[in-house]
Parts: sequence; structure tokens; C-alpha cells
Amino acid sequence: MKTQLKSSLNAGITFGIVSLFLYLIGFTTTASQIIQNLLKLKPASTVLGMDSLTFSFALFIGLIGLWAGVNQARSQKGQPFGTVLLSAVLTGLVHGLIVALAAYITGSLNASGVKMNTYLSQLLPASVKLFLFNQTPVLGALSQLAFLTLTALVGAAVTYGLMVSNVFGKLADAWRSMWKQVNAVPAIAKFRASPYFSYVMYSLLLLVMVFVPLRAGQYWNYTLGTVGIYVLLGLGLNIVVGLAGLLNLGYVAFFAIGAYTVALLTSPAPHGLVWNFWLVLPLGILAATLVGVLLVVPVLRMRGDYLAIVTLGFGEIIRILSKSDALTWLTGGPKGVNNVGGPVLFGWVFDDVSYLYLIFLSVLLAIFVTRRLQNSRVGRAWESMREDETVSRAMGINILKHKVLAFAIGAAFAGLGGVLFAARNQFTGPEDHNMMVSINVLSAVIVGGMGSIPGVIAGAFVLKGLPEILRELENYRVLAFATLLVVMMLVRPAGILPASRRKFEHENAPGNEGSKQ
Amino acid sequence: MATESKVNKKKVSTYQIVQIILGVVFGGYVVWRLYQILIANPVYGPDTWLRFAIAGIILGSVYALVAIGYTLVYGILHMINFAHGDIMMIGAFGGYFVFEALKNIQTPTLADPKLNFLNAHPVISVILAFVVGVSVAALSGYFLERIAYRPLRNAPRLVPLISAIGASIFLENAAMLMFGAQRRDFTNPLVLTRGEGWEIPVGGGTVILTYTGVLTFVLSIVILVLLYLLVQRTRMGRAMRAVAENKNVAALMGINVDGIISQTFILSGGLAGAAGVMWGIHLGLVYYFLGFIPGIKAFTSAVLGGIGNLPGAMLGGLFLGAVESLGPAVLGIDFQLKDVLAFGILVLVLIFRPTGILGEVLSEEKV
Repeated sequence: MKTQLKSSLNAGITFGIVSLFLYLIGFTTTASQIIQNLLKLKPASTVLGMDSLTFSFALFIGLIGLWAGVNQARSQKGQPFGTVLLSAVLTGLVHGLIVALAAYITGSLNASGVKMNTYLSQLLPASVKLFLFNQTPVLGALSQLAFLTLTALVGAAVTYGLMVSNVFGKLADAWRSMWKQVNAVPAIAKFRASPYFSYVMYSLLLLVMVFVPLRAGQYWNYTLGTVGIYVLLGLGLNIVVGLAGLLNLGYVAFFAIGAYTVALLTSPAPHGLVWNFWLVLPLGILAATLVGVLLVVPVLRMRGDYLAIVTLGFGEIIRILSKSDALTWLTGGPKGVNNVGGPVLFGWVFDDVSYLYLIFLSVLLAIFVTRRLQNSRVGRAWESMREDETVSRAMGINILKHKVLAFAIGAAFAGLGGVLFAARNQFTGPEDHNMMVSINVLSAVIVGGMGSIPGVIAGAFVLKGLPEILRELENYRVLAFATLLVVMMLVRPAGILPASRRKFEHENAPGNEGSKQ
Repeated sequence: MATESKVNKKKVSTYQIVQIILGVVFGGYVVWRLYQILIANPVYGPDTWLRFAIAGIILGSVYALVAIGYTLVYGILHMINFAHGDIMMIGAFGGYFVFEALKNIQTPTLADPKLNFLNAHPVISVILAFVVGVSVAALSGYFLERIAYRPLRNAPRLVPLISAIGASIFLENAAMLMFGAQRRDFTNPLVLTRGEGWEIPVGGGTVILTYTGVLTFVLSIVILVLLYLLVQRTRMGRAMRAVAENKNVAALMGINVDGIISQTFILSGGLAGAAGVMWGIHLGLVYYFLGFIPGIKAFTSAVLGGIGNLPGAMLGGLFLGAVESLGPAVLGIDFQLKDVLAFGILVLVLIFRPTGILGEVLSEEKV
């Protein structure tokens, strides 16, 4: 009983802090607006005696309350019904108390005319009122408390019922047996096992890639192009981090080199060199590769985490240099370079659709190169180096050579990405190359699954495509990435679509059976 | 060991030759520049040099405080606590809010009817700001470890590092969403007005030794000495060193390893918090991104001094502060590029002496 009490209290405090945090970052208001839009409620209409925004807010906070109850019921699995309900009520009470206290304090401050948003920028009077269900502070706080307790109770009761009847277990069993039956058909099983399966999948992808740009319109083509460039960057970083196991946090440096090469050589502004794009494209890749080699040589002998911080430093150095006064004559300074030239083929200027094809073509090329490398002697050398440097050296692998190679190829991909990015936007500047680019690409690689190509593509879509679809969540995007990074590492360190070898490795990590103090 | 090093001395690899050439070129350039600006055609008078040095040492003492946090954690867990700089930011916000709250408490006297608590009791206010800043930061350090690092204790090495990067971005963005993206002025008590201080005549001009700077420097030195005593002399410090040496053996000796790791994070978070409040008091601006650059520089300091080595981190911090402040003038480069110089130093140290100035103190197995 004592442990149950403690767990309910803990859960209540955790949920209370989470709700409070969501309130402080203004997410409660944004979420209510999203729910209002999703349900297609008119702002002026009333639902159940509340105006529609308040009703949406009640739905949102109710969901959190339900979740608390569900969570509590699940953690008390196997306990009698009374205990489950009791512990859920306790959780709901603690959760509600924290929220109600916050609501009361902010509400009464708001009522007495204190402008809280000078310090806590999201606590606008309207948000505070919404958090109190548009009631007076006392009434609003009390209704929060009652509502959260009630929803926790309902959530726990429903979950208990579902757990006892084992609905989900039965559904999962049904699904599994159906899947088994499908796989039991000899033709399907044979097809899935054959190499043609992946070819079919890739050609389906290819078909989508050919037809989507024609129908999507400029905005979505632009977004898809960004995703494509991130896939390209991700594939490059995947070689460095995923295959060779070298954590590079300054990956944006190579991206910047590619972008600046094409910008400075094709733009009329700082140097008046208006070269052909097709000539500059390989030059950009070459420049990035060269810089990659030059950067990696001095840091080759470092430990992994030193490498991370040094490459982070390099990335920042390139950015600071590109916007410094001392190099304005070369790089155009903080204002960046305008009028970057785009590709022209036999007098035909690329529009958004054909440019998207160009990006897709580069991505396909990158996928091809990565696949060939991964299954070659070099790729195996990288993977063995990642697992254990000493052992691979003993096996006769030239560590230095392979590290330089990994960095150079990764840099080449980034250079290509940079060239495409700058030429598409017809602009490049220092703020295009801040550290967030490195972090985003790294997140894409890690979220998708290190070392796996489908993983990188999925990761790039999740990180660059999803936020475009969920535009209202713009402000919370980076916060969500960060949370995703941590949660991913805690729950599924191998990624969404893990590479087969990595998956094996994470499941059999040496620490797992080691003594845990 | 002795025979081994003899064998190594005979073969000079190309890497070492490159090192020597680079070292000679760089050293020669520094000497030539020093000759140029000190003897041949002096650009700055002695007062300017002193001003640079003072600014550098004050900044360096803040770096030292943050660097200690990195070193403590690295010594025990062998991971870069990427979010350490952001914990410093949290501490700075803690101090900022204390000053803002005290500013709004009116304590009118006959002489000055508009007097507020901040100006009436500056000593209490500063102490309160430090107490709140340090406790908030220490608490964040504790929760950071519990949530983002502890479950990953035995995971492959890249995993906790990535989790730390995630935690760092999370803290920055949470602060941005909560407190807004703008830079806020850190209001000091009148006694500690920024830029005011003792005026010392040197050479042709005067050098101002600011009150905030002196407070920052003295306080950090006191904290550093106390910390050194804590780690070297107390039971807790001894347990920390034992855990850093070998977790399993320490556990067998009856040390609560998890507890010690938590304490280490609380300690390092508290130090970062103190550094954050000092940063606010001395430099006067708080914003969500404040911790990032000092964080990287403090890590640089920790590496400079030799990671895992407490006096090394202090020395590294002071050295880096001085380099950052004097370096652009000595090397004749733009002052905008001082961050480049700091990163450049990091790279150079890692190339020439990866164990840092005083050598690293790490258990053998992990190195």
C-alpha cells in the first residue's frame, strides 16, 4: 500500500509539473486553438454552455487528466479495482492541486492587473483566463481540481475495464494471426524474401517522386526540396556518424562551404564572377571535400567526445568568419550573398518542379553511393572501426585512411547539399549556417536510425516535413525535437528504422548484462 | 614505462614533425607580433593592456567555475554534460528574477521615499540572488541527471552524449518560450552599478577596477578554494574521487554510487548557477541562449587544464579568459574573432597536448 501511495504521489507531481510547464510555455492555448480548428468550431459558437475555445481547452486538459488516470491504472496492473481507482484519484488530486494552485495564483495576479507577460512571455491575460475556464480565480481553480480528478478517475476506470477484458491483447493477436496467414501464402513470402521486393519498393518511391512535384504546387515543392536536401545531408552525416562512428557536430561547416562556393562564383555581387552553375556544382563539392580532409587531419587521434566538441568549434568558426568584418570583402559579411545563379540547361531555366527533380536525382545518387559503400570493403572497415578501433587496427585496417575517407565523403554530400540549397534560394548568408542545421541533421539521422538509409529518409521527413504540415506548432518545433532526441535515446536508441546490425548491437549492448549499481 | 618512452623517442613520426613545424611557425609569429606591438610600434599603452588583462581574468574566473562542473562530471561519468552551459543560464535567470522581485518591494525612508529593497539592502539582495540562482541550477542539474542521463548509464558512448545535446536544446527552448526571446537587462543594486569602481592611475590613463568585477573574481576564487577543500578533504569528496576511479570497486567499498553521481550533478549545477548569477551581475544581460558560448568555452578550459583535474580547470579558465581578452590585440586580429581564437586554442591544445596543461586525471580504463 505504501509503495502504491508513493507511486500515485510521484505520478501526480510529474503530471502536475508537465501541465504547469505546458501552461508556462503557452502550449495550452495553442493546443486549444488547434483543437478548435480541428473540430471546425466557430469562435463565436458555444458548446455545452462554454464558448468553443474554452470547450477545446477543456478537451485538451481533460486528455492530460485521462492520460494520468490511464497511466496510473497501467502501473497498478493486477491490483483490485478499488486500489486502482483510489490511486488514480490520488494522482488526479495531486495533479489537480498543482494545476489549481498555479491557476489561482496567476488568475488572481491577472485580475489585480499585474502584467505577467513582461516576465513570463506566454502568460497573456487571455491565456490565463482560458486556463481558468473563463471563470473567477477561485471558481476556475476549483473546477480545474475537480475536472482533473474526475478525468483521472474515468481514465483509470476505463483502462481497468480494457485491461480486464484484454481487448487490445485480442486485437493484437488477431492482427498477428492475420499477418501470419498473409505471409503463409507461398508466393507472397517468396516475393518478400526476394531482392526484387526492395526494387519494387524503390520504384514505387520513384513513381511518387516523379508525379508528386507536378501536382503539389510551389509551396509544397519548396518544402519537399528542403526535405530532399536534408535527406542528402543526413545521408552524408550517416556515413560519418552512423557508419564510421565519428560524432561530427560541425557538419554545417561543409554545407556552408558548398553554399558559399556556389554563391560567390555565380553571383554578380561581391566578385562579379558569373560562372555556369554546372561548372560550380562539382567545384562546391570539391571545396567541401578538401575542407573536410583539412579539418579532420589534425583531429584524427582524438577521443570521440573531443572530436564532437572540436567539430562543433569548427562549425562556429566558419559561421563567425563568414559574417565577420574582416572577411566581408570575400563573403559579403552578415548580409550574405544575393542573386545566386541557378541551373540552366541548353537555355532552359529550371523552375521549381525541375529543380525538385534535380534534388531528387542527387538524393538517389547519394543513396546509390551510400549503399555501394556500405556493402564494400570500406563500409565494413568503417563499421568495424566504429565497434572497436583497436581490434580493427589489429585486423589490418588503416584507421587514419578510413577516418579521412568517411569525413571526406560526408563533407562531399554536405557540399552538394549546400550548393543545391544556395542555388535554389538564390541567397546564402551566415544565418543559414548556424549550429541548428548540424543539430537538425544529426537529429534526423538519430531519430531515423543510425546507419540505415530508410531511417535517414524517415528522419528527414519527421524533422523537416512534419513541422510544415503542423504549422501552428511552429514555436514548439525545436522544443519537440529536443524532447524527441532525449526520449528516443531513452526508449529506442537504435532509431525508428534501425539498421539491422545496429539493432542487434543495441539489444546486446555489453552494459545490459553488466552489474548495475 | 621508461624503456617504452625511450623506444618512442627514437622514431619521430611525420605527425610529430608536422607538430613541431606548426609549433615553431605559430610561436615565431607570436614572438614577432609581441615585438611589433610592444617595442617597435606600440599601439596600446600599459593602461590598455592592464584593462584587457583585468577583463580577461574576471571573465576567466567565471569560465573556471563552469569548467569545474564539466571536469567533475567528466571525471565521474566520462561524458560531456552538454547541457551544463544551459544550467548556467537557468542560474542567471534565477538571480535576475530575485533582483526584479526585490526591486518591486518598496522600503521608503525619510531621506528617500522611493527607496526599494534592492538598494536599501544590497548585501542581502546579492546573497538572496546567489542562493536562489544556485539552488535552482543545482535542482536542474539533479533532475537533468535523473531524467536524461541515469537511464543511459550503461548505454554505448554516443547515446548519452546525444541525450545531453537534446537536453541542452530543450532547456534553451523552454527558457525561450517561457521568458521570451529578448535580451533582458539585469538590474543591479545601485552600489554595484556596472562600470563603476576604483580608479587606478596607470601610465597615461586610468584603469577602472569595477565593483562587479571584483565581486565576481573574489567570489569565484573563494568558491574554487572551498570546492577544492571539499573534494580533497571531506568524506563526500573522497567518495567522489573513488567513484571517478572505479565505480564497481567504489560500490564494493560501500559507496552509494548513484547518490554520489547525483551529488556531483548538484554540485556542478550549483557552481554553474553561481557563475550564471555572476555573469548577470557583471555583464548585465540575460537571455535564453546565454549559456551556449560560455559552456563551450568552459569545456575548452577544462580540456586546456586537463580534464578531470580540478586545479587544471581553474587554470584553464583563467588562461582562456586572458587569451580571449589579450589575444586579439597580441595577434593583431579583429576583436569580433575572439570566439574563433578560443576555438582555435582548443584545437591547438588537442593537437599538441591532448592531456591538457596540467595533465588529465582519469582512471586508466576509460582513456
